Amino acid sequence: MRVAIAEDSVLLREGVARLLGEAEMDVVAQCGNAEELLSNIRSHPVDVAIVDIRLPPTHSDEGLRAALEIRSRQPEVGVLVLSQYVELGLAMKLLADSADGVGYLLKDRISDVKEFIAAVQRVAAGGSAIDPIIVSTLLSRRRTDDPLEQLTPREREVLDLMAQGNSNQGIADKLVITLRAVEKYVSSIFTKLRLPSTGTESRRVLAVLLFLRN
Amino acid sequence: MVASALAAGVDRRAARAPPRSSLAWVIAIAGLAAAGTSCALALMSEIAAELGEPLVIAMLTVWLTLSYVLCGLFAWWRRPASGFGRLMIAAGFATFGSTLSMASSDVPFTIGQALDLLPPVLFLHVFLAFPDGRLRGRVVRMLVASSYVAAIGLELVRMSFGEFGPHNLLAVQAKPGLSDAALKIQLTMISVFCLTGIAVLVARRWRAGRPLRRSIAVLVDAFAFGLVMIAFLLVSAAFGGPWVPQIRWGTFAALALAPLVFLVGLLRARLARSALGDLVVELRADLAPSDLRDALARALRDPSVELAYWLPEFATYADVDGRPLDIADLGRGRATTLIDRKEEHVAALLHDPSLQDEPELLGAVTAAAGIAVENGRLEAELRARLEELRGSRARVIDAGQKERQRLERNLHDGAQQRLIALSLELSLLEQRLGGDSEATTRLDQARREIALTLEELRDVARGIHPAVLSGHGLEVALESIAARASVPVRLTVELDGRMEERLEVVAYYVVSESLVNIAKHARATRATVDIAREDGQIVVEVVDDGIGGADTERGSGLRGLADRVEALGGRLRIWTPRGGGTRIKAEIPCV
Repeated sequence: MRVAIAEDSVLLREGVARLLGEAEMDVVAQCGNAEELLSNIRSHPVDVAIVDIRLPPTHSDEGLRAALEIRSRQPEVGVLVLSQYVELGLAMKLLADSADGVGYLLKDRISDVKEFIAAVQRVAAGGSAIDPIIVSTLLSRRRTDDPLEQLTPREREVLDLMAQGNSNQGIADKLVITLRAVEKYVSSIFTKLRLPSTGTESRRVLAVLLFLRN
Repeated sequence: MVASALAAGVDRRAARAPPRSSLAWVIAIAGLAAAGTSCALALMSEIAAELGEPLVIAMLTVWLTLSYVLCGLFAWWRRPASGFGRLMIAAGFATFGSTLSMASSDVPFTIGQALDLLPPVLFLHVFLAFPDGRLRGRVVRMLVASSYVAAIGLELVRMSFGEFGPHNLLAVQAKPGLSDAALKIQLTMISVFCLTGIAVLVARRWRAGRPLRRSIAVLVDAFAFGLVMIAFLLVSAAFGGPWVPQIRWGTFAALALAPLVFLVGLLRARLARSALGDLVVELRADLAPSDLRDALARALRDPSVELAYWLPEFATYADVDGRPLDIADLGRGRATTLIDRKEEHVAALLHDPSLQDEPELLGAVTAAAGIAVENGRLEAELRARLEELRGSRARVIDAGQKERQRLERNLHDGAQQRLIALSLELSLLEQRLGGDSEATTRLDQARREIALTLEELRDVARGIHPAVLSGHGLEVALESIAARASVPVRLTVELDGRMEERLEVVAYYVVSESLVNIAKHARATRATVDIAREDGQIVVEVVDDGIGGADTERGSGLRGLADRVEALGGRLRIWTPRGGGTRIKAEIPCV
């Protein structure tokens, strides 16, 4: 698996590269700014690009713009955006109309190596990885006539993991239940929330996030 | 220089004092005694009997003496700066002196006879000297002096020719022919002088070239035509003429009423009170500088009034628009009154010289104008200071903002990155350790500590400066806040693109602080946040359906919000009726 990294802190950049290397991923580019990253992956496409949202020169939205540009120009390249703060508004901007091959995680998550590697792999494979903070913000959001109230606690847990981009198998592993049980919960959730069942997992992520957002 | 010279002139005028009360009493009692004496003389006199109506003559002499003396006294008291009152007193006593000619003893008769023709000349003098008691111009002074010479000098000459009966102490040699000729010359001269006086008055009015400022001046002028009657009377007496008795009574009436007319003319200022009241009312309203001049012109009834502002830093006068004025040039033929406030010269008023005869009116108007001018100046100064203050407040806030951004950046690039790297390092170490469960557990524990620290740091950093705002704008920054709010929030942001950062920061704090307040105090079930650009300003409105009655001064942080909004020249308004929800609206101008 080919990976490109854009991160201006050398310490972190090398740490992530080492981490990915140890997971037998091929870090083909380590860049200090967005432009370097864009030109690199244009000439040498990768499976996934890991991008810090704050990059030189202004440290404002360069990382996000680079991520959006990759998503529109090279949809086959997965983009995992890392940030020291996660914002609902940015998540929705990043997802726009598709959750295919996109991730948005708090930077802290890289230290949970197993989870992080799984997220990178998911994004590289066209899936999604949405930070738990985003999902919990959406789930805890106050609503009038809250449809989430109809869900059982277990269904809420499943919804949470589903919105983060986990596959049914991933959810089953995390909750230590059978795949069959997960499928049952998922279909119950979709019925209760009156969501049309969707094909892929990433489409399901977008549908759930959009539902929760409104 | 000009200002101080003018000020000195004004001071000198003001220094004239009214008569001391003892002196006033002496004059009044002397006037009464004189009037009593002439009354008695008239009643006993043969001449009066010859003229018919001795009682009328007696009353007339009493009236003429008393009215001139008392009116003169009053005028002196009310208008100490003007010599006119003293002139009137002199005229009163001169009238009395002339009535002594009705006495039957030698000395009084001789004195009375010598002063016999003094009253008409005094009358001329009084008219020419109205209203300030001074004779203006060499010609006029010569005219009056010649009249006195004709009235008294020629009278003495005639008396030396042995006329006027046995009581004439001055008779030297009887020369009836010469005396008769002298009388004709004398009366003709006085008549001519009276007519010349009228001509002078007419010319004066003509030269003034402005509509008559005061209707009372017309009245005074009308009485001046009494001079024409005197002239006619004297010529008739010398050469014989028609209607002598009628004209004589008319002249007496004019002479008798004149003191009252003069008095009213002099004290006219009292009648100007209402005009002054109007001025004060006008000044109280928010008066534009150009309207101030018009208001002053109306109050002074002088359309030619001009107001020159003194600019101390340039040591010059300027008009309303700041154009320099040469008041020495402008003031030619006009009077200048200085307007001072708190011992500082602020302006000069150029006006018709005749206004100087109404010092109360002028004083009151200039005092009122002084307040208005000073108010205007203070207001301008205050506005300038306010502008400066607003600027410096905005600069302070900007500087604070930059400092906060810098701090947040340092935290982000420093401590936070290092902690993440450290946590990552621990993870990698953990993987290397393989199966050592105790070490793994302790490393896990350490990583959790780091995660908590990072979380706290993140909160601190966000509190210092919401970096997402700088990076991604208001809408993105507010979405999380709205989602995390304690009540359902409908967020509507209608902005085309980004705004100046300090505007975004203020708008952000208005929303976040309002939502915190809603969570703490409002007991609301929902809220709306609307942000839009309207007419060159950003309007931020946060409305909840809670209990209202928010404390806008303490605790709620609303005061601090208002400060932030006002520092950018905006305003924050809060409607929070008890039981009616709370509505917070910030309007911030965007350039």
